Amino acid sequence: MAYNELIKNFGRIRDYMREFYLYGFKSREEFTKKSARSYDDEKRRLESWLGDCMRFRQTPEGKNVFISIDSRLSRRNPLYAAWKARSFTDGDITLHFILFDILYDPALSLTLSELTAEIDLYLQNFDEPRTFDESTVRKKLKEYVNEGIVIAEKRGKTVYYRRSADDLPEIGNLLDFFSEAAPLGVIGSFLLDKMPPREDLFTFKHHYITGAMDSEIACTLLTAIGEKRCITLETVNRHNDRISENHVVPLRIMYSTRSGRQYLMAYAPRFKQISSYRTDNIVSVRIDEVCERYDELRARLEQMAPHLWGVSTQSASGQRILEHVSFTVRYEKDEMHIHQRLVREKRCGSVEKLDVNTSRFTADVYDAGEMMPWIRSFICRITDFQCTNRELERQFREDLRQMYALYGLEGGEEK
Amino acid sequence: MIFSELYSAYYNAVAAVLKEACNRKLSPADVRAIALQKAFGESLLNIEPALRGQKWQLLLPDGSTPIRHAPSMPLTTLQKRWLKAVSLDPRVRLFPETIPDYPEVEPLFYPGDVLAFDRYGDGDPYEDGNYIRRFRLILDAVENKTPLDIESVNRKGSPVKYTVMPAYLEYSEKDDKFRLIAWGRRGQICINLGRITSCRASARPLQYDPAKSRTPARETVELELYDQRNAPERVLMHFAHFEKEAEKLDGDRYRLRITYDKEDETEMVIRILSFGPMLKVVSPARFTELIKQRLLMQKNCGL
Repeated sequence: MAYNELIKNFGRIRDYMREFYLYGFKSREEFTKKSARSYDDEKRRLESWLGDCMRFRQTPEGKNVFISIDSRLSRRNPLYAAWKARSFTDGDITLHFILFDILYDPALSLTLSELTAEIDLYLQNFDEPRTFDESTVRKKLKEYVNEGIVIAEKRGKTVYYRRSADDLPEIGNLLDFFSEAAPLGVIGSFLLDKMPPREDLFTFKHHYITGAMDSEIACTLLTAIGEKRCITLETVNRHNDRISENHVVPLRIMYSTRSGRQYLMAYAPRFKQISSYRTDNIVSVRIDEVCERYDELRARLEQMAPHLWGVSTQSASGQRILEHVSFTVRYEKDEMHIHQRLVREKRCGSVEKLDVNTSRFTADVYDAGEMMPWIRSFICRITDFQCTNRELERQFREDLRQMYALYGLEGGEEK
Repeated sequence: MIFSELYSAYYNAVAAVLKEACNRKLSPADVRAIALQKAFGESLLNIEPALRGQKWQLLLPDGSTPIRHAPSMPLTTLQKRWLKAVSLDPRVRLFPETIPDYPEVEPLFYPGDVLAFDRYGDGDPYEDGNYIRRFRLILDAVENKTPLDIESVNRKGSPVKYTVMPAYLEYSEKDDKFRLIAWGRRGQICINLGRITSCRASARPLQYDPAKSRTPARETVELELYDQRNAPERVLMHFAHFEKEAEKLDGDRYRLRITYDKEDETEMVIRILSFGPMLKVVSPARFTELIKQRLLMQKNCGL
């Protein structure tokens, strides 16, 4: 099939975008084990959609392609472009603009045969006018009724069609902000596209745009959550490319503002426990039956919240017992912001001021391992670290020793 | 469904072409110019021939169109549900604009359905009437480029006064705070909205030339990344929002170059340290010294 800039399925481009944006160190050969043509086509599409964000580097192994975006400077998420590249037929686009031109006023309503006859009038001056039969027009109208943009009303035995009266409100500034800052912001971006070009009033710092690639998955998950339904998830194991199926009750989407990772918290009846599933590893979601126990399971997640540092509901060893963590930091008189950092950045647990120069953080969490990166961010002032998970305590000290060695500060040589 | 042609760049481009064609006959060059502006880099190679060749029977050979009204499409149910969900966000009150109610649809999600689990706990007070008033005044000044007199408190709690020309507002989801980026007498400055105590339109004319003003310096740090405990993925995701470049060196080593704003250097040091021995600063030497200093201080903590 000839190359087309537009695509029908999002799955493959989602994988390529992830590889190019997050990693960007794979050579063409590493991608082309399955299909060289597929790699070339996807790369060409991304070049067209993302323009200057696509970069290249020549290496001994070949040319590496990567996406580099400073999201503090870009103002609008460039990855949204992929969601605006859905393919369509020649008939789809022709019918779309003619139908909405006929139904230009919400007060106008026409029957199927009236609409079909009107469409013929629009097309009569073309060299070889297309003909849309009633069944094609009916199918398109049904699609639009499902999307909520056309309203079908029955009068007696006849169905009349009119356009919905809800047009885009004047909310440009609000859309500028929420198209980047709200979940599923790509929908806000669709709305912005309908507005005249405008100056962006906002920029975004610490702005992770990766989640945009999982928008359809997140949208389906939120629909299931709203309807309190079970779902069947297909997830991929990135280490061995194996796909597995899970029947779960979706409870909440949780995301990190410090990594952009997004997770589904869900109850798995098979294991009788609440676990997290990374949304970027979810390949597909099927919405199933209503869950009668939904409110009870959601309440169970709420009860767990005070002991969740991140999303892990069990320790690395697989145990579901609380691990006690405590660490102490010291600071100078003019470094009170360190105490404030502990208070501001803690997600659970408590902070105690021991004296004018010392503060201690303590918490009981399901997985103390999740807390390690945060604790290490206090390196230079940690005077005590205790954890009931002895292996983690040992690992923390060993990591410090390795860091000293890494910079030639103790024993060992620099790596 | 999000992935739909109704939201596509091509539909938007063709809508723009037809809007123009409702007023005048378009040449192929006109169509290509609109396609370039509204769609993707290569789209003009598809859109103009499809219209000219009558595959899409919307533009007649003379460049006129049988379409009589500027194209428009009502809001889809998905868009209304998303807007309704946004209307439940406390930050929506910062904006003077109002989202209609859309009584016939349910919100796409409620605030408790999607949660950030690591946002800082001292975010801006979005429910505070004074904060909302200041935010709106500042947003208006940003939009209309009018100067402001601002009184604020600095990190040490001392009062500070500025007369500034607002440039834009910056939001950090991690900090859950807004900052005003503006031009003052000494060049570009950042003011945390949460620290502003008073704000009003300035009567003083402010002469400023952004071209002559100081802009934030950018630096690049080069790191070596070791493939242990899934570090490559964790590190690359963590630093994904920067301009960056990653390269595989050998079996378990990667080279990573990240460009950051110099004003955020301390934050970068902390973020790199948080990855422990999986990440090592290679250059510049000045940055390596910052890491070493902290490690030496840690060694003296008696742990």
